[in-house]
Amino acid sequence: MSDWTRTRHRAADSNGHENTNHGPSRWSHCRKRGVDGSLRANRETDGADGKNHRHTDSSYRHSDDRHASFTTPESEGPVSRCGRQTDWGSQVENDELRRDVQRDMQRYRRRILAAEFTQRERKTSSGSSGSCDSREGEHMETDEAVLLRRQKQINYGKNTLAYDRYTKQVPKHLRQPGVHPKTPNKFKKYSRRSWDQQIKLWKVKLHAWDPPAQEGQEKDLNDIEELDLDDVMDIELDFPTLPDSQNTTASSTKYNPLLEDEDCLGTPVKVMKTETTVEPDMA
Amino acid sequence: MENSTKEDYRIQSFDMETQNLLKTALKDPSSVNLDKVSNIIVDQSLKDQVFSKEAGRICYTIVQAEAKQTNGNVFRRNLLNRLQQEFKDREETRLRSLQEWVCFVTFICNIFDYLKVNNMPMVALVHPVYDCLLRLAQPDALMNEEEVDCLVLQLHRIGDQLEKVNNQRMDELFFLLRDGFLLQDGLSSMARLLLLEMLEFRAGGWLLSSTAHRYYYSELAD
Repeated sequence: MSDWTRTRHRAADSNGHENTNHGPSRWSHCRKRGVDGSLRANRETDGADGKNHRHTDSSYRHSDDRHASFTTPESEGPVSRCGRQTDWGSQVENDELRRDVQRDMQRYRRRILAAEFTQRERKTSSGSSGSCDSREGEHMETDEAVLLRRQKQINYGKNTLAYDRYTKQVPKHLRQPGVHPKTPNKFKKYSRRSWDQQIKLWKVKLHAWDPPAQEGQEKDLNDIEELDLDDVMDIELDFPTLPDSQNTTASSTKYNPLLEDEDCLGTPVKVMKTETTVEPDMA
Repeated sequence: MENSTKEDYRIQSFDMETQNLLKTALKDPSSVNLDKVSNIIVDQSLKDQVFSKEAGRICYTIVQAEAKQTNGNVFRRNLLNRLQQEFKDREETRLRSLQEWVCFVTFICNIFDYLKVNNMPMVALVHPVYDCLLRLAQPDALMNEEEVDCLVLQLHRIGDQLEKVNNQRMDELFFLLRDGFLLQDGLSSMARLLLLEMLEFRAGGWLLSSTAHRYYYSELAD
């Protein structure tokens, strides 16, 4: 995760200041001119090669009505659009991300089409008039910049110990909506605010699986291993009123007073405060 | 096991301490300083011709190991940024030491060959690699057999891949090669031989016919 942070900082820095790595590299094929000063205009029209390889990440599409930078939840200020980073490390990472997103998009489309088909078949056989929600394939998010940003946000959440432990401890077929965190679907159309909020809430829920902070808390873990699913059903994991869900220390102090209440052993409140792994074992 | 690691990755030229560091990096990347490891590899590649030809392999393995273990990219990122820096300074390097320049080209091409992203070559390296090869095809470089030799080696290893990702620049390179072969005075006969070989090689779809192979390489020991 730390190298994503570095990426952000470096991108922000590349507009002028030094960065802490081996010195900013001005060299970039994203530039209009090559190293020798000659214009690279004709290189962009590499239609000859089958894949239309965009050696310049920033050259793809944008007729540049779009902002050159935007502020993301993770960045500390305006960050250049993902394609503009000039160091090879970032270029390759973005390239990889883009390919992953493209591949995901294809898979998703196929899944949607398959689901729509089945749904349509069912509807015609039962004789009901079709509802409009089956046309999800036409309403999915396809803007690459949006998808990349969302994927990066998802990656931040997934590159955590909490996520790792969560996925190991709760297999997919045991996951319950509302109870267990679910990765937001990047292909659905949401407003920016809505999406960012979903990501925040998702990450908050994931914190329930943070590794125990100290030795002492391992004991609590053993004590509650006997809890069965019934207890789980009572748990409500939504925190709609959380002010700043990114800051777990803030929320833990907020919930401190409830520590006294022993009946709350199985509640998420306790989980938030102690950062124990109460949750996963109950699943 | 010990020896095969050495031979697979050609790390014999490193001292024992470094060899152990590299072996650890291969098995347990999160336990070592990956920035340091990548610097060691790059530095050695610029000095050691044998290593520069095969360093891509060890790099690939470390990248995979790190991705699997921690989902991280630290090694690859630092490796690429080092490469970028060396690329930026390549003209200076060439003036200072032909050997180092040739090692660099060999190394970056080897990385291009091994470090793929989703089984595709890294787009960020395509133009830099071409820039290097085109440099080797310049008249002044063609006068040096080691540079011509380097060019032949790279085309044999990655010519077809390069052509696939950018046909236009390959054409550009071959214009230079033809010109060099036909027009350039003072080229050694070895240089001319190699140039002709490259021309035939590409024309044959990146394969040398058996007759051509006999012509060019029959004198060489297996």
